[in-house]
Amino acid sequence: MENKEPLSPHIQIYKWQISSLVSISHRITGIINIIVITLVCLLASLLSLGENNYEIIYLFLSSLVGKFFILGITWSFSFQILSEIRHLIMDLGYGFELKITKITGLIVIFGSIFLTVFFFLVGKNFF
Amino acid sequence: MVQLNLPENSKVKKGKYFKDRTGSKNLKKVNIYRWDPSSGENPRIDTYEVDMDNCSSKVLDILNKIKNEIDPTLAYRRSCAHGVCGSCAMNMGGKNGLACTKPHSEIDGDIDIYPLPHLKVRKDLIGDLDGLYKQYKSIEPWLKSNSKSESEEIFQSKEDRKKLDGAYECIMCACCSTSCPSYWWNGDKYLGPAVLLQAYRWIIDSRDDEKQARLKKVADELKLYRCHTILNCTSACPKGLNPAKAIAEIKKMLATANI
Repeated sequence: MENKEPLSPHIQIYKWQISSLVSISHRITGIINIIVITLVCLLASLLSLGENNYEIIYLFLSSLVGKFFILGITWSFSFQILSEIRHLIMDLGYGFELKITKITGLIVIFGSIFLTVFFFLVGKNFF
Repeated sequence: MVQLNLPENSKVKKGKYFKDRTGSKNLKKVNIYRWDPSSGENPRIDTYEVDMDNCSSKVLDILNKIKNEIDPTLAYRRSCAHGVCGSCAMNMGGKNGLACTKPHSEIDGDIDIYPLPHLKVRKDLIGDLDGLYKQYKSIEPWLKSNSKSESEEIFQSKEDRKKLDGAYECIMCACCSTSCPSYWWNGDKYLGPAVLLQAYRWIIDSRDDEKQARLKKVADELKLYRCHTILNCTSACPKGLNPAKAIAEIKKMLATANI
C-alpha cells in the first residue's frame, strides 16, 4: 500500500533561536572561508606569474565590489573565529545553560560586527 | 538528507474558517494543522475564533474548548494535563512544548498549532513516534548489574544519586528530538537529544556495570556526533532539562576514556 501519511512542517514553522542562528551561520561562514582561502592561494600563485596580474588584482580589490568583498570576508572570518571559541568552550562542557547560550550567541553576533569595524579602521590607519 | 521543502502530499492548504458564535468581544484566532487520513486530501490549516473570556490559561484548554464546543473532529493526544505524561507535545507559536503547561498568553497574536515537526502525521496533531521509541529501545534503558543477589539493594551514595538529577526527570515527550534540525535530516540514524539524554542517564548511573559497553555503543559518527550544539532541544524542553549538555558530557567521556 502506498504510504500517504504527510510529513509535518518543520523548518518552515520552527521559530529561530539565537543559538540555531549562530549554528547555521557558523556553517555558512565556514564554507565561505574555505572558498576564500582557496581564492587567496590562487591570487598568490597569480602574483608569481608577473606584475600585470598584480595590477588586475589591485584594481579589483580597490573597486567598490572589491571593498565590499573584503569587508564581507573580514566579517566571515571574525564570525568564524568567535563562534569557534564558543564551540571550544562548549566542547569542554561549559556554557550550556539557556541564558548563557543566548549571551554567548549575542557576543558572537555583535562581536563579529565589532571586529569587522575594528579591522576596517586598522586598515585605514585610524589608530 | 537535507530536504527543505515539504513533499507534494504534505503541502499545507488553507482550510475552513470557524466564526465565533458566542458573541464574545475577547476573541483569539487559533490556526490548527488538520489532516484527515480518510479524505485523501492534503493537510490544511483550519482557523477557529475562540472566546477567551471563558477559557482557562493553557493551550490545551483552548484545544479542549474547540473540541468540546466548536469542532469535535479535532484529534490530539492528551492525558494527564499536568506536564507529567508528555502526551500533548506539539508545536505552538513556532516552538515545541506541552500544550498543558504552555500558557497561551505567552504567544503573541494568532496562535499557530502544528504537530511535532518532521514526523509522519497519523491524524491532525498526532505524529508518529515509532522511530523514536525504537531508538529508545536500542540503548537498552534498563539497569544492567553484575550483582548476583536478587534480594539485596544496590547502594548508591548521595553524590552518585545527584548525578542523575536533570536526566531521570525526562518524560520522553519528544519535544527536544523533533525540534532538532539534525534529527530532522538524519532521524533514521542520529539518536537525537531525547534518546541520548537517556543513554547518558544510564552511562552515569553508578549502579550500572555496563558503562563501557554503553559508551562504545553510542560512539558513532551518526548516532552521537550529529549533534552540532544547535541547542533547539534545550530551549524546547518543557521540563527545563538540558539534553545538549548531556550529549556534550558523553562526547567528553568518549574523548577522555580508553575504549
